Amino acid sequence: MINRKKFDFTLLALLATLIFLGCIAIFSASTTMIGDQMSIQNNWWKQIIFAFLAFGAIALLLKLPMPIFDIVVIPLFVLNIIALVLVLFTPAVNGSHRWFSLGGINLQPSESAKLLTILMVARIISKEHLNEYRQILYGFLIVLLPVSLIMIEPDFGTTLVFWASLLAMLIAAEVPLFFILLMVSPIVSVVSSVWWPAIPIWLIILICLLLKSGLSWVTITVSAIANVFIAFITPVFWMGLKDYQQNRILTFLDPTRDPLGAGYQIIQAKIAIGSGSMFGKGWLLGTQKNMNFLPEHHTDFIFSVVGEEFGFIGSIFLLAIFAAFFSRIIRNANDLKIKERKVAASGIMAYLMLQTFINIGMNIGLVPATGIPLPFISYGGSNLLINAISVGVILKYLNERGFIK
Amino acid sequence: MIKSQATLVYRITLAVLFLLLAGALFRLQVVKGKDFQRIAESNFVRIRRITATRGEIYDHKYRPIAQNVPSHNLYLTSGKIRNLPALSRFLERNFAIPQAELHNLVLKQRFKTYEEILLADNIPYETMLILSEQLNYYPELSFRIGSSRNYMYPNHFTGYMGRINEDEYELYRAENYSLNSYIGKTGLERYYEVLLRGRDGREIVQVDAQGRSLNLFDPAGNIEPLNGLSLVLTIDNDLQEFVSNTFPAGMNGAIVVSDIRSGGILAYVSKPDYDPNLFMHKITPDIWATLNRAEKPMLDRIIHASYPPGSVFKPLTAALGLDSGIVTPYTRLASCVGGMKIGNRFFKCWNSGGHGSNNVIDALRVSCDVYFYDLSLKMNLDSFLGYAKDSHFYAKTGIDLPNERRGFFPSIAWYRKTYGKHASILGHKVNLAIGQGEVLTTPIQMNAFYGAIANNGLWTQPHLLKQTVGRGRLTREQVMPLAKNRLPMKPLTLQTIQQGLWAVVNAPGGTGANAKVNGGTVFGKSGSAENAMGRTTHAWFCAYLLTSKPEIVVTVFLENAGGGGAMAAPITARIFNYYIGNLENIKKVTPLPSQFRTAEDVDPVPEEIDTEPTEPETPAENTTTPTGAQSSD
Repeated sequence: MINRKKFDFTLLALLATLIFLGCIAIFSASTTMIGDQMSIQNNWWKQIIFAFLAFGAIALLLKLPMPIFDIVVIPLFVLNIIALVLVLFTPAVNGSHRWFSLGGINLQPSESAKLLTILMVARIISKEHLNEYRQILYGFLIVLLPVSLIMIEPDFGTTLVFWASLLAMLIAAEVPLFFILLMVSPIVSVVSSVWWPAIPIWLIILICLLLKSGLSWVTITVSAIANVFIAFITPVFWMGLKDYQQNRILTFLDPTRDPLGAGYQIIQAKIAIGSGSMFGKGWLLGTQKNMNFLPEHHTDFIFSVVGEEFGFIGSIFLLAIFAAFFSRIIRNANDLKIKERKVAASGIMAYLMLQTFINIGMNIGLVPATGIPLPFISYGGSNLLINAISVGVILKYLNERGFIK
Repeated sequence: MIKSQATLVYRITLAVLFLLLAGALFRLQVVKGKDFQRIAESNFVRIRRITATRGEIYDHKYRPIAQNVPSHNLYLTSGKIRNLPALSRFLERNFAIPQAELHNLVLKQRFKTYEEILLADNIPYETMLILSEQLNYYPELSFRIGSSRNYMYPNHFTGYMGRINEDEYELYRAENYSLNSYIGKTGLERYYEVLLRGRDGREIVQVDAQGRSLNLFDPAGNIEPLNGLSLVLTIDNDLQEFVSNTFPAGMNGAIVVSDIRSGGILAYVSKPDYDPNLFMHKITPDIWATLNRAEKPMLDRIIHASYPPGSVFKPLTAALGLDSGIVTPYTRLASCVGGMKIGNRFFKCWNSGGHGSNNVIDALRVSCDVYFYDLSLKMNLDSFLGYAKDSHFYAKTGIDLPNERRGFFPSIAWYRKTYGKHASILGHKVNLAIGQGEVLTTPIQMNAFYGAIANNGLWTQPHLLKQTVGRGRLTREQVMPLAKNRLPMKPLTLQTIQQGLWAVVNAPGGTGANAKVNGGTVFGKSGSAENAMGRTTHAWFCAYLLTSKPEIVVTVFLENAGGGGAMAAPITARIFNYYIGNLENIKKVTPLPSQFRTAEDVDPVPEEIDTEPTEPETPAENTTTPTGAQSSD
């Protein structure tokens, strides 16, 4: 099943390393020392079982004939959308409808939706006869379907990942960069309106970039005026919001405003990571972890355990592995010659990379808290399985590609 | 290999994002690492629960019955434990906490190691002073001031509080209790837990070891606790004390005094009693043995036990006879010759000398059993049961205390099931007519029944809560509407029964002559109930007092004390005398104390009238209005 010449063993090895590091961190997160007595929660061996299942799933995927793989994408996508509708009718857990509970196992259809939506979008926008406008429109419409359902759940953080993947895929599908720039520019304008000196700086950058893309003066003028307008209308819109709506957005952006909720978790994660200092406190010896200040430190806040116990050296090591891993996928995506597969590989890369960035950034207080787990490291069986299968898809594409020149 | 434009974008993005992360990590761990290490060592950033102040319990004049008192508590933070064996030795030596119990406590919360566990409460001040120095060796232990309860006198209605146990914690999971919470275990503390408790607040603790604020958060985000509501009861502390003291020493039994028109209980005494304060400390085996001795001081004889009523049940039998037309007030039944032969059995009257032939009023006056034997022969058992049910002798009264016991009255079906299909129920029915045999009632049911007779047939749910004060002011009607029902008696029947009860106390030869007092008219009925608990009869006396208007109804019940007329009636008389002597004082309206007044209370006296709950439901039959009684004094 593995074609030795084409298969990427390095990527597989990097994946295995990440999952292994995850198991080490989860084992530590599951333990509590009281005096010299250690008690262990039973998460860590569940994660090991799922690690083996994940590699089994990759092996099965590699064995699956390519035509069958190509055929099942669309029906699976449709089933997944139906699941996303059905999940809205489940009882709410912590105020949102995200999970199917089947005999102690929680299934989150929005997890599998990420991979299937990427494959679906790749399928559609890679068709030969499409122009750029249609590529963008179709991609947007396909992503909108799962995203709107996930917004109802509600799970705002997850939807960000979808849009990032779409952008990456459009770039891979050779949509000219200035289209992407024009698509992103209103968002940047809204953000820059927070601090007024940022507006002219951003405008100059935008105009330079557009000039470099060789666009006509008319287009550049129109888009610049539009962006200025957006930048100035945002404060007006902001004033129009009710106090509680403003508060909700501000708390999302700055969790320390809510010290008894999200802010508490962020500050505890920061204290844990910061107190790890240069060399860390040593495996299993994290004092903040041991006090269980963070109720969920084996899932979304697993990086706080890594940062505390292995210090700056350990955190940078983990970052380096992740960087090597993504860099490897980027190279592989470049190597793939079939457009659909190249686009899909880019989408997968973007979604994994953005989740990694958001999760670690959240742990160190760089980005707002949005319950997104750290790929391959956080505890969570179905999440690990889907992420590993996504990498499996890339491995399969590599395995199935034509002759290497 | 050709690098596409896309690859370049990806690589730049990857580099930017990861450099951002690496930079932030460097700042956090290397530049600020020392600061965070200091914060981490002190472990001082955490969310702490601010316990809401529990509502207190007052009598109807706002005099305290249960109060909050400060208590020195010892807490353990299990995540800070360094040397468990040393700690368990320390705790065993000073607080008698066994090693196994400590391990169990710590293990139970092992995944919330930063949360404080309450180890001991109500620690004597001296002990705390002595141990404070040693606490330096145990950073996991800390003394803090909490709150405990003080009950003013031994009683059965306040109940007591205790540490929440695992079952309760699971049961009330959604109610935001912590494992250190106190919860009402019995009595009013339990019944009105929701009102008394309030809601705990949260605060973020952010000080370092030197007590300096770390300023990580805006303290405005803290959630203030909502204090619990205080209860104002219908109990009168003076009367309660008098009744408790007048109770014959060494006897077991119960006395209930309640207001006829409002149904509110003025005194609630069950003897022997216990001091609820005992439960606020660790119960020693000695105390536990005392609490569980043969006299059962923990048993609330007013609502938790049902007894054969004996002759105090006879007004009900008589009323059914009159209502169903079997007899008129003038009908004389079989002549009493010290008993009566029914079938081939001779049923004795309590007076072997005999009473001759009587009408209903005289039968009540002398408590002649034979009249009721004869009456019962013409009655249908199931209609008897229905009548008893309608008079609230079967179901619970719904008093605002937990675990009330209901009474019992057998049906034909019950006899068939118990004694076989063809058993004769005649003999049983005859016994039921005089309140013997299978019928059982609780003293509170009896009290409510006589109260209803006094209140011209309107039965009012007995209750203890008058209103709440504190954060919110609710009347009893707003908390939970009182049930009010008419007794099944027709007006003429009711009048006849009242005349009978008057005769019992006031006519010559009445069995309740001992209950007669000056300054008011007493209506009553004695009872001496044979029972399985001992050879001597239970002494009952149920009576009510009218002055210019209906006043109070008293139920005295003494276990195995002898005859009701001889033993219980004098106690009733003492209570009536006390009440008449202190009438002004008891009925005087107390203005709302200043600590409970809010901005709206310009004049506290009208407020008092507003909170009188009985007014709207009082029927027209009453000659005087109840609010008139309350406010004119």
